[in-house]
Amino acid sequence: MGSEAIGSLFWIAVGGFFAIEGVRLGVKTVKNPGPGFLPVMMALLLILFSLIILIRGLLRPAGSLGGIPWKRHIFVIAVVFFYIFLLDWIGFLTSTFVLMFMLFGLLIRGKNRWRAVLFYSLVTALSAWLVFDIAAKMPFPESRLLPF
Amino acid sequence: MEFMSHILSGFQITFQPVNFVYCFVGVFLGTLIGVLPGIGPSGTISILLPLTFKISPVTSIIFLSGIYYGAMYGGSTTSILVNIPGEAASVVTCLDGYQMARQGRAGPALGIAAFGSFIAGTFSVIALMFLSYPLAKFALSFGPPEYFSLIILGISFLTYLAQKSITKALVTAAFGFLLSFVGLDPITGKARYTFGIPVLADGVDIIPLVMGLFGVAEVLRNLDTPEERTIFKTKLRGLLPNRKDWKDSAGPITRGSLLGFIVGIIPGGSAPLAAFMSYAVEKRVSKHPEKFGTGAIEGVAGPESANNSAFGGGLVTLFSLGIPTTVVSALLFAALMIQGIQPSPLLISEHPEVFWGLVASMYLGNIMLLVINLPLIGIWVQILRIPSRVLLPLILLFCIVGAYSIRNTVFDVGMMMLFGAVGYLMERFEYEPAPLALAFVLGPILERGLRQSLKLSGGSFWIFFNRPLSATLLGLAVLLFVSYFFLKKRREVLDQLEE
Repeated sequence: MGSEAIGSLFWIAVGGFFAIEGVRLGVKTVKNPGPGFLPVMMALLLILFSLIILIRGLLRPAGSLGGIPWKRHIFVIAVVFFYIFLLDWIGFLTSTFVLMFMLFGLLIRGKNRWRAVLFYSLVTALSAWLVFDIAAKMPFPESRLLPF
Repeated sequence: MEFMSHILSGFQITFQPVNFVYCFVGVFLGTLIGVLPGIGPSGTISILLPLTFKISPVTSIIFLSGIYYGAMYGGSTTSILVNIPGEAASVVTCLDGYQMARQGRAGPALGIAAFGSFIAGTFSVIALMFLSYPLAKFALSFGPPEYFSLIILGISFLTYLAQKSITKALVTAAFGFLLSFVGLDPITGKARYTFGIPVLADGVDIIPLVMGLFGVAEVLRNLDTPEERTIFKTKLRGLLPNRKDWKDSAGPITRGSLLGFIVGIIPGGSAPLAAFMSYAVEKRVSKHPEKFGTGAIEGVAGPESANNSAFGGGLVTLFSLGIPTTVVSALLFAALMIQGIQPSPLLISEHPEVFWGLVASMYLGNIMLLVINLPLIGIWVQILRIPSRVLLPLILLFCIVGAYSIRNTVFDVGMMMLFGAVGYLMERFEYEPAPLALAFVLGPILERGLRQSLKLSGGSFWIFFNRPLSATLLGLAVLLFVSYFFLKKRREVLDQLEE
């Protein structure tokens, strides 16, 4: 199956969800449209357009998604979700350092790699902490484990 | 007389120290992100939008607009010097601008880009001023059916102008509408698609949505190609274009300004499109089209003027009809809503300070940009040397802090990452994110229009067709799609004939 067909199946699923949930919310009558009225209509349109893409994709399969370094993308997204989790436990300064260390670690290559990674993540975490936490007084979650 | 007093009061507002400073910071930041590849104006405006919660509406609009037209200026710098467009609207500038730089004419190229932008920016502000007021008065006669039809026409234009596939643009627009329905139903108060999550009762917030689609997705995309930029070493002498340059550019700047403004008014008529169209027009009217692509100054002057002028055009629709036509004007729309101002035809008369303050600030901002860009060009070139491996984590950190600061909850950070992943995948599968973002903003207006109209008519859809204005708008929408399929068929037939 080509990438076109896979993409359209995703949208059909999304449309299906919105349509079913919309019917549950209540479409009511045309005279007095309910909360689900337009969502259901729109979801059906989404499914219709996706079907066109699906059929076209099946008739003329083209494109594959090979050759993309998916690991790096998944790593970056996972690191941010890990950061969200950490924020609550070890506070803004420390968790930002961890986040930056992992991101720079992923991207920086070459000689003295880890020294550069350490330097950049320390500098950014400290500056972000000074600017956002200390100066701008943004209400980040209180750390449960560390005193800062 | 009333007109003059409005303009004067606009300048009084702009020259208040706080507005002056925010205008400067806006255009400065705009130039900066315009220069830096990796994040565009939509991403930046959404990151900085939470900063405007505590300032007055007019200051916030002055600041956010400054970022945008500043980015239009800055984008040309990278296109000309490194052949990498800093943002989408300056892609065409690469074609001839970079060639000019290679011939040692980087100075005049940068110069004409800045002057052309200045002239076009000023033109579009004047046109905006004269057009918005009467159009807003006219729009006061719009009822719910007219609004419904107007949005339908807007979305039709938006998808019609899609650069990739029209069907895919329709898919993303439909998805954008569906997302806009998340939250409490405005009429019955029933929770829709909230999964019992309390934060979702307020709906999906536009800031994490746009930040994800245009900020995080861009960071993820940059992971694919960790390119190292090589800066073209050239002596930047004589930024002032000579007499011949001016003679060659006068026509393109005039046409670009006009064309950009008109394109900007149309929904989906974004700055990149205006630039592309201007380039095509210049090539067609030129006496020596073969020179295009080899360093013709017309190929820089026209598109650079058009992309600046388009912003003014987009503001016409926003301020007179209350309808955003591009992602950036959707963000300005959101910024106004956050401030408690509902963009509508009443905006100019109810909040004259916002409109006239913005108009006056754009005169000032354009002058500031000329000063920032030309003498400081050396600094902007230096900034290009920051490698992307350092830049990407910083952009991501700014996105995270920006998303968090909207409601001080990590929920929005998670949402942003989710939309980032969606935005990245959409690009991979060749779906454009702009229709999604715009439909998301237009959704509530569409729904209100539809439900109120049906109540008025007692359930008859005929109401959209028996009112002349509404019928005309819908007719235009139908005409657009018919012409699309007709042209497509014709092209296919011609292709077959050629084979």
